[in-house]
Amino acid sequence: MAFCRSCLLNLKPGESGTICRFGQMDPVLKRRLADLGISVGSAIQVKQYCLWGGPVVLECSGQLLGIRKKDAVHIEVAVS
Amino acid sequence: MSDAVLVGNPNTGKTSLFNTLTSSYEYVGNWSGVTVEKKVGRLKDKSGILTDLPGIYSLHPLSRDEGVASEFLLTDSPSLLINIVDASQLERNLYLTLQLLEYGKPVIIGLNMMDVAESRGLAIDTSRLAARLQSKVVPLIARTGAGSKELLLAMSRAEARDNAGFRVDYGEVVEKAIELISREVNGLFPSLSPRWLSLQILENNPVVMESSPFLEAGVRSTVSKIRDQTEQQLRSLTGTDNSSLQEYIRSVRTTLIQQICRETVDFSQSKPHTLTEKLDKIAAHPVWGVPLFLLLMYLTFQLTFDWLGNPLSDILEGFISGPVSSLAIQVLGAVGASDFTRALIIDGVIGGVGGVLVFIPQIFIMFLIISFIEDSGYMARITIMMDKLMEMVGLNGKALIPFIIGFGCNVPAVMASRSLEQPKERLLTMLLTPLMSCSARLPVYALFAGVFFAKSQALVVLSLYVLGIVLALLLAKLFSRFIFSGEKSFFMVELPPYRWPQAVTLFRSTWEKGKGFLRKAGTFILGGSVLIWLMTYLGPGGIASDMDDSYLAAVGGLLAGILEPLGFGTWQSGAALITGFMAKEVVVSTMNIIYHVPDLAGLQGQIAGAFTPLQAYSFMAFVLLYTPCLATVGVLRKETASWKWTLFSIVYSLTLAYLVALIIYQGGIWLGL
Repeated sequence: MAFCRSCLLNLKPGESGTICRFGQMDPVLKRRLADLGISVGSAIQVKQYCLWGGPVVLECSGQLLGIRKKDAVHIEVAVS
Repeated sequence: MSDAVLVGNPNTGKTSLFNTLTSSYEYVGNWSGVTVEKKVGRLKDKSGILTDLPGIYSLHPLSRDEGVASEFLLTDSPSLLINIVDASQLERNLYLTLQLLEYGKPVIIGLNMMDVAESRGLAIDTSRLAARLQSKVVPLIARTGAGSKELLLAMSRAEARDNAGFRVDYGEVVEKAIELISREVNGLFPSLSPRWLSLQILENNPVVMESSPFLEAGVRSTVSKIRDQTEQQLRSLTGTDNSSLQEYIRSVRTTLIQQICRETVDFSQSKPHTLTEKLDKIAAHPVWGVPLFLLLMYLTFQLTFDWLGNPLSDILEGFISGPVSSLAIQVLGAVGASDFTRALIIDGVIGGVGGVLVFIPQIFIMFLIISFIEDSGYMARITIMMDKLMEMVGLNGKALIPFIIGFGCNVPAVMASRSLEQPKERLLTMLLTPLMSCSARLPVYALFAGVFFAKSQALVVLSLYVLGIVLALLLAKLFSRFIFSGEKSFFMVELPPYRWPQAVTLFRSTWEKGKGFLRKAGTFILGGSVLIWLMTYLGPGGIASDMDDSYLAAVGGLLAGILEPLGFGTWQSGAALITGFMAKEVVVSTMNIIYHVPDLAGLQGQIAGAFTPLQAYSFMAFVLLYTPCLATVGVLRKETASWKWTLFSIVYSLTLAYLVALIIYQGGIWLGL
């Protein structure tokens, strides 16, 4: 199985990956995501991108949430 | 047991359960951050007190509403914790559970939303879960009340040593630090577990670190030293140089939780939220989502006015001006009331209060629709769709939650801004919320639009709501540019699964909102009407023979000159606007009393003579924007904790109202309207 690391925003709607790094993300948001059980190793799926660079909708273990693209860009995922 | 407290993640049904257990009715909805203040109630079986807290993910708060919950646990030390856990999101919810088990008080776990978990194909072994957590686990469906009897029973049997066997092992290094800190903080909070306190300190929880007993004890430096040393030791142990103690503690807990979940939850049959996915394909569609939202808003206004509200209002109006008035006249005649009393009751009370009550249908329909949006899960979707626009003006998509609540009433809307994480965005949201056209302004629109824009009433009223929103966005841009420096911001919103609101919940939420309006009718509007009537009855020269010689005319006349350029420079308008500060409905009461007419049709005739359509629109815009009502000013003062910002809110809104009305009127004249 070949793994390739990439930015979460390279995923198309419906594709998923495993989080491997949060990079330079705002620590408060990082904690908020951790509160929702989203941390390194979590499987995450991109559900939808909003128009005009609006937030991206993600799903992690049945939980739907939205964050801004400028924050999501820090998330690095491994795609199998 | 005497005092229990409900603790749990946001949007897990704590308040629904609270309402069932205490027979009260507190605000419920389907988004994170509905409850922003603690609520206290007496249990149905009178066995004790129950407190409902805002939802939290951990004891380390990030926003104001979460702070309320964490501070409560630190200072109030309840005797029993009821941890409400969302069964369909067990892994995430258990993170808080572990911290609560460490708190040292008996904990009962209410495993809520069993129906949702089941529909997602999750099977939870509750007895295994209870054994792993060494706690009682009670399965619940809070929305229907299932399991609440069992929960009450478990509460009555709770004992102090219930969870004493539960302990998370954090590894040698951290355990040593816990021991050292426990020694330092022993006795600072006599009712709290020193182990729990030590862990909160190691996690640098500001609620503990900045509490007065902790600061007064002067152990901060000692404790910080222990913490730094522990962090160093951990780093050399794991061979990394950037992992923090906080993250380490979190990872220990998370590992344990994952293990517990593997043992207790059967994921093999799990399936996605099919309904939510299907609805989101339409409601949150990247392209059609926003137009759909606007269409829904338009339909809301059609329903509130043209389709349903106005016909019902006409029936009610006929009832008040017909049977009610004639009955009052008969009774007054029978008891031989003086002319003064007769005029006070008929012109003052029935005219003033009745004139506002006829708009009950419109107001209740609006409340019903708002309640539906709140309970369905659509609210969070709106914040996502609008976040880009909000970000552009320096706000947060989440600010839309207070804004939408503000269409009902600005007071709870200002409170709702507590769930915004960044202080700057929260303040900005609070300051701008009063521009959302609340239901109190609705009677004014219904009255004026009914006279001047009868054919397109819904559209004209919608334009006022849109005006409020557009101005709020423009001002947000202005304020965030010049007043607030560029603070860092992020947006994160949870999208709860959609659910069809239950009829009972819907009607109760509508009634609770409507009750506020009726209460206002019995207090502010009644009192205001009597006062206004007296001011029209009396004047500087005793009883005023002509209303133009009355006190009200004198007071209103002071403003007439200033209001002249706006198109409504009469003492009547001035007086209505001054009295409208009490509650904006009073504007209509005042008009009713001043124009002294028996029914709505008569008033409409009078107003049609006193205003032109352009002047009427300018007047409505002024009522929309000018100073927030007394109750909103009160809550702004409380929530901003600053007179400066409260005054700022009053001053900016008055200025804005004046400028906008000026532009509308003068611009309209220039265009030849």
